[in-house]
Amino acid sequence: MRIILVGFGVVGQSLARILLQRRSELMRGYGFHPKVVAVVDKGGAALDTRGLDLEEMLSLKVREGTVAASREHGHPRLSALDVIESAEAEVVVEATPTNIENGEPGLSHIKTAFRTGKHVVTTNKGPLALALPALTELAEYNGVYLRFSGTVGAGTPILDLAKKCLLGDRIISIRGVLNGTTNYILTEMDEERITFQQALEEAQRLGYAEADPSMDVDGLDTACKLVIMANWIMGERVTLEDVEVEGIRNVTREALEEASRRDCTIRLIGFIDDHLKVAPTEISKDDPLAVKGVLNAVTFTSEFAGEETIIGRGAGGMATASAVLRDLLNIKETLSTRLMT
Amino acid sequence: MKKIVMKFGGTSLAAGENFRRMASLVSRYVAQGCKVVAIISALEGVTDRLLEASEEAKRGNLESVYRFKGEITEEHLAAARRSINDKHVREEVAEALRSTVDELEKVLTGIVYVGELTPKSRDYVLSFGERLSTYIAWGTLRDVGLNAQYYTGESVGIVTDSNFGEAKPLLNVTKHQVKSRLEPVLEEGVVPVITGYIAATQDGVTTTLGRGGSDYTATIIGAALGVDEVWIWTSVDGLMTSDPKIVPSAKVIPKISFQEATEMAIFGAKVMHPRALEPAMEENIPVRIRNIFNPENPGTLIVREQMVKPVDVVKAIALVKDVALVNVSGAGMIGAPGTAAKVFGVLGRNDVNILMISQSVSEANISFIIERRSLEKAVNALEIALLGRGLIREVTAEDDVCVVAVVGAGMRGTPGVASRVFSAVARRGINVRMIAQGSSELNISFAVKKSDGEDAVQAIHEEFRLDKS
Repeated sequence: MRIILVGFGVVGQSLARILLQRRSELMRGYGFHPKVVAVVDKGGAALDTRGLDLEEMLSLKVREGTVAASREHGHPRLSALDVIESAEAEVVVEATPTNIENGEPGLSHIKTAFRTGKHVVTTNKGPLALALPALTELAEYNGVYLRFSGTVGAGTPILDLAKKCLLGDRIISIRGVLNGTTNYILTEMDEERITFQQALEEAQRLGYAEADPSMDVDGLDTACKLVIMANWIMGERVTLEDVEVEGIRNVTREALEEASRRDCTIRLIGFIDDHLKVAPTEISKDDPLAVKGVLNAVTFTSEFAGEETIIGRGAGGMATASAVLRDLLNIKETLSTRLMT
Repeated sequence: MKKIVMKFGGTSLAAGENFRRMASLVSRYVAQGCKVVAIISALEGVTDRLLEASEEAKRGNLESVYRFKGEITEEHLAAARRSINDKHVREEVAEALRSTVDELEKVLTGIVYVGELTPKSRDYVLSFGERLSTYIAWGTLRDVGLNAQYYTGESVGIVTDSNFGEAKPLLNVTKHQVKSRLEPVLEEGVVPVITGYIAATQDGVTTTLGRGGSDYTATIIGAALGVDEVWIWTSVDGLMTSDPKIVPSAKVIPKISFQEATEMAIFGAKVMHPRALEPAMEENIPVRIRNIFNPENPGTLIVREQMVKPVDVVKAIALVKDVALVNVSGAGMIGAPGTAAKVFGVLGRNDVNILMISQSVSEANISFIIERRSLEKAVNALEIALLGRGLIREVTAEDDVCVVAVVGAGMRGTPGVASRVFSAVARRGINVRMIAQGSSELNISFAVKKSDGEDAVQAIHEEFRLDKS
C-alpha cells in the first residue's frame, strides 16, 4: 500500500519508526506492505515511487530539519497540495498540526486527497471538529475511507470501543476526561496543593503543555474530541460551535481543597447527552473518571450494557502513531474484502 | 436580527423596472435591520433560448450563434440601462455582461466546431442565463445604495455530483463552505447576490440543479446559513385552494405544511418542486411564497407543522389534465405473482411515467394513469411485450379523462372525508372512473371524464367551504 505522509513532526516520525521496527511482523501477520512514496514537511517534500528509505528520512529530519534535503529524492519547492494531487498513492496520512480557526492546511489536504481518490488517515482534530459531516459526505461520494482513531485518546481505542465493541447497543451518553495536559495540572494542584499557574509551569517544563497552552487549558482540545465522538459514535451532525466550553483557568486551589473535604476532586470533563458541554466538574474520588496525571478516561452509558469506562494514555507520539497504524490496517483489510468479493 | 434568503424568479424580473422593484424590496428589509441574501433566476425565457441556441450550435449553425449573441447582449444591456441610474455602476455591469457574453460565444462556437453537445457542455451554456441576470441585480442593488457582492453558485460554495442536467448537491460539504464564505460578509453588512440554478462539481466544472432550479439554490443557502425564512418572490399571491380559472372563489392558503405542499406540487400546482423544499424541510426553515407585485400580501407560508383545524380537513384541490387511463386486464393475472412488476417494468423501460395506480383485490385488472403524450407508446409497448403469453387479454385506453387531486393533512384519521368528496361529486351526476388514496392519507385522487373535471373540482371546493376560510 502506497502512503503519502503529510506532516513529519512527532506523530509522523513516530509512524516512520513503527513502520521500520515492525516491518516484517506487519508483512507476516497482516499481509501489510507499506511503501511511503512521499513525505512532506514545512521545508518541502521527498518523493520516491518505489518507497522512500524511512531511516534516511528520519536522519535527514534530525540533521537538516527537512526531508526535502534528500539529494536523490528531495523537492524543496513542492507543496503538500501538489504532492497529494499528483503523486500516486492509496492513502494519505494527514498529520499536520491542529488549527481550529479554519482547519487549514489539513482541511484542504483531506479534500484534495478525496477528490483524487485517496483514502485518508488523520490525527488532525481541526478539520474534523469544524467539518466532519462535510468530510464524511465527501469521502462517501468519492468512494474512499476517512479514519481518525488517533484524534481521540491517542493510542487508547476509545472510538473503536464505542463504534465496534458496542455494536448493536445504543450509546445514550458519554462523559470523559479527554485531555492529558489539563488532567495533569488538576492532579498536581490537588495533590501538591499548588496554584494553577504553578502547575501549568511544571507541565510546560515536563513538555506536557505547549508554550501557548490555550488549546488545552481553555477546553478547546476536549471540545474538538467531543465533536468527533458526537458525529462518529452518536451520529449527530454537530461542529465546534455547538459545544459549550469552559476551561480550567479559573479553578482555584481552594475549590480543590473544598472538594477534597467531600472526598471529591475536580476534573475537566466533556459531556455528550442532549447537548455538548466541556466544564471543570466535581466528581467523587471513586468515580472511574478520577484518573491521575496525563491519563484519559471515558465512560459510555449504553442502553443495554450499562456503563463502561476505558482508561489509557491520551497523548504521545508513539501512542498516536499506533492509532494511525491501526487505521491503515483497517483500510487495508476493508479494501482487501472489497476487492475480493 | 432576522436573516432572510430571497429568491427572485424569472417572471418577477422580466423587465428592467422589476429589477428596481427587487432592489427596493431588498433595501426595505435591510433598512429594517434584516440580513438579506438574494438569489437570482435568469430573465424569463432565457434558459429555454440558451437551450435552443446550443441545439442550433450542435447542428453547426455558426450564423445563429452570432445572431443569438447579438440579441442576448442587447436584451441584458437594455435591462441594465432601465434598472441602473448611476453611470459608473451601469458601465461596470455592461462591461461584465459583455465579457460574459463573449465567453458564451466561445462556448457556442466550440460546440459548432466539435458538432457535439454533451450534458456537460449543455450545463455550461445554460449557466449563462443566471450569470447574466445576476450581474444586473448586483448593479441595481448597488445603485440603490446597498453593498452588494456578486457570487456564482460555484464561488459561494455549492458542490454537486457530476450528474449534469440534474446535479445533486453534496449538502454537508455545501453547507460547510457556504457558511464559512457568507457568514463573515453578512456580518459586514454585505448583501450577497447569488446566481440561482447553477453550481459546480468538486473539480469546479459547472453543473445545473435541474428540477427545482433557483428555488433549490435558495433553500440550500437558507439551510446552510440557518436563516429565519426563505422567501420565494413570484408573480402570484401564493398557493391557492384551487385554480382560480376553474373556481373563481379560490383563495390564497395562508399556511400549509411541507408535506401538503409536496403533494400539491406533484399534482401540478405551480408550487416549488418537492426537491427544492427538501433542504428547508430538513432544517425546519419556513418557506414563504410571495407576490413581487403585491408585497403587502403575506403570501403562503410553508412550515413543518400540519395545521389541522377540524373544519379544514381539505386544503386544496388540483385538476390534472392531459392524462390518459390505461386498463390492463385478463383472467391470467389472477394469483400470478409478478404481473404488476412485468407491466410496470415494460413502462419503465419505455420511459413512461405513471401518475396513479389502482388494482382491485380480484386482480383481474390493473388501471393506471399516465401522461397523455405517452399513451400510444405505452399501449403498444404493453401489447408487444405482454399479449399472447396467456397472462393478459387486453389493453384498453381512454384519453378523455382527467384526475382530481384533493390534498390536506387533516384527512389523515378523519373518517368520512372520502364519503363527503364522492357524495359531492355524485350530487352533480359525475361518474368516478378510478380512485387512489395513498396510506399517507394526505391526498385522495380520482379520475373522471374530461368534461366533468372542472365541475368535480367546484363541487368539492364548495363542499369543504374553501372559499370561506
